[in-house]
Amino acid sequence: MDKSAKEIAALKKENEELKKLIAFRSDLISLSAHHMRTSLSAVRWILKMLIDKDFGELTKEQDGMIGRAFESSGRMVEQINEMLALGHKDTSNFEYKFEKTDIISLIDSVLFDFTGESFKNGIEIIFLKPDTELPKFVFDREKIRVVLQNLVENAIRYSNKGDKVFISVAKKEKAFEVSVRDTGIGITEEGGKSVFEKFYRTKEAIEKEPHGTGVGLYTSKRIVEDHGGKIWFENMEGHGTTFSFTIPLSLPEML
Amino acid sequence: MNKKVLIVEDDTFLKDLSSAKLTKEGFQVTSVGNAVEAAASLEKDAPDLILLDLVLPGTDGFGVLQKIRENPKFTKTPVIVFSNLSDDSDVEKATTLGASLYMIKSNFTLDELVSKIKTLLG
Repeated sequence: MDKSAKEIAALKKENEELKKLIAFRSDLISLSAHHMRTSLSAVRWILKMLIDKDFGELTKEQDGMIGRAFESSGRMVEQINEMLALGHKDTSNFEYKFEKTDIISLIDSVLFDFTGESFKNGIEIIFLKPDTELPKFVFDREKIRVVLQNLVENAIRYSNKGDKVFISVAKKEKAFEVSVRDTGIGITEEGGKSVFEKFYRTKEAIEKEPHGTGVGLYTSKRIVEDHGGKIWFENMEGHGTTFSFTIPLSLPEML
Repeated sequence: MNKKVLIVEDDTFLKDLSSAKLTKEGFQVTSVGNAVEAAASLEKDAPDLILLDLVLPGTDGFGVLQKIRENPKFTKTPVIVFSNLSDDSDVEKATTLGASLYMIKSNFTLDELVSKIKTLLG
């Protein structure tokens, strides 16, 4: 008994130290992000002022090049934001807020945010709403929003002009299931093995979209699994991919 | 009468850029680099809106915000916190202290800032 008490004390101490280390790392990430954003703010503001002709007219070529620089800097901001979100999700800050939520209105709101991007890319998004009304389910609305955003964003990104993206939701026996199906580039068998790993990107994904970070699916998997659900994909190489996830109707009590 | 904006920002380059942009948009701009200068400027000339950075040398932006809201003259003056800190705890703290709006610099451009300022000033 005495021995196990000692062991527990040692483990507790170790646990405290690890918590401190994690908090320190999290602060470090915030601080680095702050520095990077400050430099980036200046770059973005100047580029936008140039585009807005605050400093006078530009030639067509200058305008085009500066536009590209502005877009590129925007991606950098996105990457920092994503890194920050991930960095924090890996720490004790990854907390869940569970509440009864209407999944349909959540999907509607996510899709609304993507109208601009899908239109720009010539991709049609179709939400196949269930025939019968769904009850509200218990889950973390904002975290599941992140999952939906990642899946829809991927579907758009890895599709070509004229492709379609279908979203559907259904109530199964013990869970509800959301699917995002695209008619895009698909995932090779080789790529499929690691697609949920952190920072992993398939060769095809890098070719199509060099600027991704490889954390979207990793984060999504983590969120879904923390809900006690599953996430997977079915593939028709060259004809598109369907990503699906489930959230149990009764969430595990450990949450 | 042009609306008066006080910019509190310690990064000289960002300060000059935002000051130039706001001046061009017809605002009467005063810009300062720390809490002490901010207090002096507020004493001298009451602004219609304050643009406030959080990471400042000495007293930080939270401290400045608290002082602003404690002053009966400025309880209703719109304060935009314009920072590159984005932790929920920072946003929450600023909001609790009475920030009207919290904007992350790198997520916005100056023309977007201008339109927010115009909205807040009605």
